[in-house]
Amino acid sequence: MAKSRPRLLIETSGVLPLVDVEVAFPTGSLQDPIRKEGLARLTGQLMRRGPSGISTARFEDHLARLGARMSVDTSLRTTRVRATTLRRNVEPLLAFVADLIWSPALRQQDFGKLKRQANASLLARLDDDQALGAVHFRERLFSGHPYGRTSSGSPESVGHISLRDVERFYTRYYANTPYIVGFAGDITKTEARDLVQGYFPTRSGDPKTKHAVPATRLPRGRRVVIVDKPERVQTQLYIGTLGARTQDRDLFPLIVSNTAFGGTFTGPLMREVRAVRGWSYGAYSRLTHSAQRDAWYMWSAPSVEYSAECAALQLDLLERWVERGLDRKSLRFAQRYLINSHCFDTDTPSKRLESRLDVELLGVPRRYVERHDELIAAVTRRQANAATSGRISSRDLTIVVVATARDVASKFEKLPGVTSVDVVPFRPA
Amino acid sequence: MTSPDALTTRLNRGVSRRNARWSFVSAEQFGDALELHRFRLGNGLRVLTLEDRSAPTVSYHTWFRVGSRDERPGKTGLAHLFEHLMFNETKNHQYGEFDHLMENAGVEVNAATWTDWTYYYENAPKNALPLLVELESDRMANLVLREPQVRSEKEVVANERKLRVDDDIEGRALEQLYATAFKRHPYRWPTIGWMEDIRGFTVEDCRKFYRSFYSPNNATVVVAGDFDERRVLSLIQERYGHLPATKLQQNGEAPREPTQRGERTYRIAAPTPTDKMLLGYHVPGFAHPDTPALIVINELLFGGRSSRLLRVFCDDKELALSVRGSVSPFVDPGLFELWFSLREGRRMADALALLDSEIERLVTEGPTTDELGKAVNQIELSFLYSMETAGGKAEQLGFYETVVDDAASAMSRLDAFRALTVPTLQRVAAKYLNPNRRTRVEVSESFA
Repeated sequence: MAKSRPRLLIETSGVLPLVDVEVAFPTGSLQDPIRKEGLARLTGQLMRRGPSGISTARFEDHLARLGARMSVDTSLRTTRVRATTLRRNVEPLLAFVADLIWSPALRQQDFGKLKRQANASLLARLDDDQALGAVHFRERLFSGHPYGRTSSGSPESVGHISLRDVERFYTRYYANTPYIVGFAGDITKTEARDLVQGYFPTRSGDPKTKHAVPATRLPRGRRVVIVDKPERVQTQLYIGTLGARTQDRDLFPLIVSNTAFGGTFTGPLMREVRAVRGWSYGAYSRLTHSAQRDAWYMWSAPSVEYSAECAALQLDLLERWVERGLDRKSLRFAQRYLINSHCFDTDTPSKRLESRLDVELLGVPRRYVERHDELIAAVTRRQANAATSGRISSRDLTIVVVATARDVASKFEKLPGVTSVDVVPFRPA
Repeated sequence: MTSPDALTTRLNRGVSRRNARWSFVSAEQFGDALELHRFRLGNGLRVLTLEDRSAPTVSYHTWFRVGSRDERPGKTGLAHLFEHLMFNETKNHQYGEFDHLMENAGVEVNAATWTDWTYYYENAPKNALPLLVELESDRMANLVLREPQVRSEKEVVANERKLRVDDDIEGRALEQLYATAFKRHPYRWPTIGWMEDIRGFTVEDCRKFYRSFYSPNNATVVVAGDFDERRVLSLIQERYGHLPATKLQQNGEAPREPTQRGERTYRIAAPTPTDKMLLGYHVPGFAHPDTPALIVINELLFGGRSSRLLRVFCDDKELALSVRGSVSPFVDPGLFELWFSLREGRRMADALALLDSEIERLVTEGPTTDELGKAVNQIELSFLYSMETAGGKAEQLGFYETVVDDAASAMSRLDAFRALTVPTLQRVAAKYLNPNRRTRVEVSESFA
């Protein structure tokens, strides 16, 4: 296949003298080998330490002098090198971005530092109860499936990664891989094209993510996991099940239905938990979608004394939503909310660029972006309710609560339909 | 295009009520492409407009000059609780209607309270502007406060406190930093309030607070984004013009904090795998001429990977996982806060010694001109980034108008940063980063 210039996406706006540059690769932590989870992220972080021929400290000084910021962000399916600078410095910044990606230093000394830093970050996560709950929720819901991994891996898996692993991963997934370049902000199409031509190499192939992921499987029963942390006066509560695939025909009906249930301040979930009872500062439900069925979940943070009662209330609300569906008024309200607020998905050039990158890189159907309002408006009550009862299980649920176990365990055991209760320490042995 | 001065003349034609008559205050260039207009309604309401049609959205902010510094011991947290109550029923709209109408129109609504202010904002599709003006003007004057809503909202705030303070290490440390560093000034209590105060509020407390502080002559409305200026001023005149100015509660000057003459420390025992350290140095109020230098010093020390403390603590010595600093943006003197999250097994004494030596180096040697240039560039980048959306612009304008009494200084402050010299930074560092005027909060599992 002939080599060609990378696909170029540009969102121009002259309101502020800023330019965002993004180079996106179809590589993420789904490509992490078993027992070496965290490899993609570590590779990205080592690239971020700078190109060969210049020390990390001098590289950082140069970036700061340009009034620039740069990050390498690794998710399950993509790696995105993002940089922002003052308009007057866009060309030297782009030269740095190109050097960083195609001539990274990948030094042994930096690698050692990064591994220690990765382990310190994993330890620091134990301080954040909400993040702790989210990690345990995905691990249990997707037990053994790649979606249950975090891109940062575990202390054990990070310990297994060598510099040679990073070099191989880099060569295989970045050095010769097709990629997409995006610009947003105060730059013209001609300027952007000239810059890319001057600094970025040609590649052959399609930069869409193609990594095959096995189907996710729904664990059966209502399974409670208590992440035991001492001295908690409050709990972090996650209740969820499998959600949807990006390509599902009923994705938009499910988006509308979920919005009506727990996506707004005035929906039944927030109303009953916060407004009527004052039990939690917030309560919402989220639907995530991916190549395979991703998660649907509810989150709240009730006080320890009524955490189990709050869980029971949320289970009851969930059952009612799944069994009875939405009424016409709630459906219309959710549709209006989604359509009217859609302008905030596109009100800056960088947001417009991100949604175009999702289409090009993740295979999000173009019509989802271009015909969003039309697709939302077309959802009927029957479609919304069928999607909810077909996709969301109120029987098979993963319930994760971060709490002091002795304060809540007996109450969670008594929740209706609970099939198991596991207590795990917040700090692994 | 009609000039803002001519616009107010036209809008005042046939308007006899003094409260509803417009005054044009000023027009100032705001960056290369935008112009900031300032108006005042007869009842004292300040209105700022900044048109920017780059996206079909508008942001509507209402800033009240009241915060936790206006409270008194035993009633701490009232300003914040009140912010929650403002989303309840009014004489014209039932309980729940405010949020329902806003969400129906696709409007993002929220609010925030801190020491010196409380603000309410809506980020909206541009066609929702009349609804925003109607609902905001309504709740400024017609809020209805009843027992069930106050009770339920007190429970929500108690839960918010547990979330942000009691179960959050950084929240607990921050609360204790201010409680230890301040002995007399109201900044010594947390904006969210002490738990026993939150539990004790009555409906009458809330009504009294509303009457004392929620009035057009204590507020600034900021409109930024895609709108027609004549139309929005006309709407504001119609909806706010009948509201009377009220006699505001005069708390007078807050008590002056005595000069701290020795380092203070406070220890917290918490279940955390690594030690944490939070320090606060007394610094002047945000409008003080030394503040730009302090902000640049913060950037030199903490601004990104090339900054001095990130480099030495996180990379070279691997003492900390993260370090962070900020200068409190308060009306009265506040603190320069420094946060250190240490690596496992690292000692706070070593971190403190390293910090002291770095501050000493800054005072004696100063930054290089190259470092100064980097810091100013980074500040400029952060500022421009914060101005990307209509909501970001409105927030900057509302903050500077409320805290510094000059919205335009949001932009002109960039010139103050560019004018700073190395000797100025050395003088300011020596004056304020003095260990005898420092408070230190330490967090460790080993204190249990």
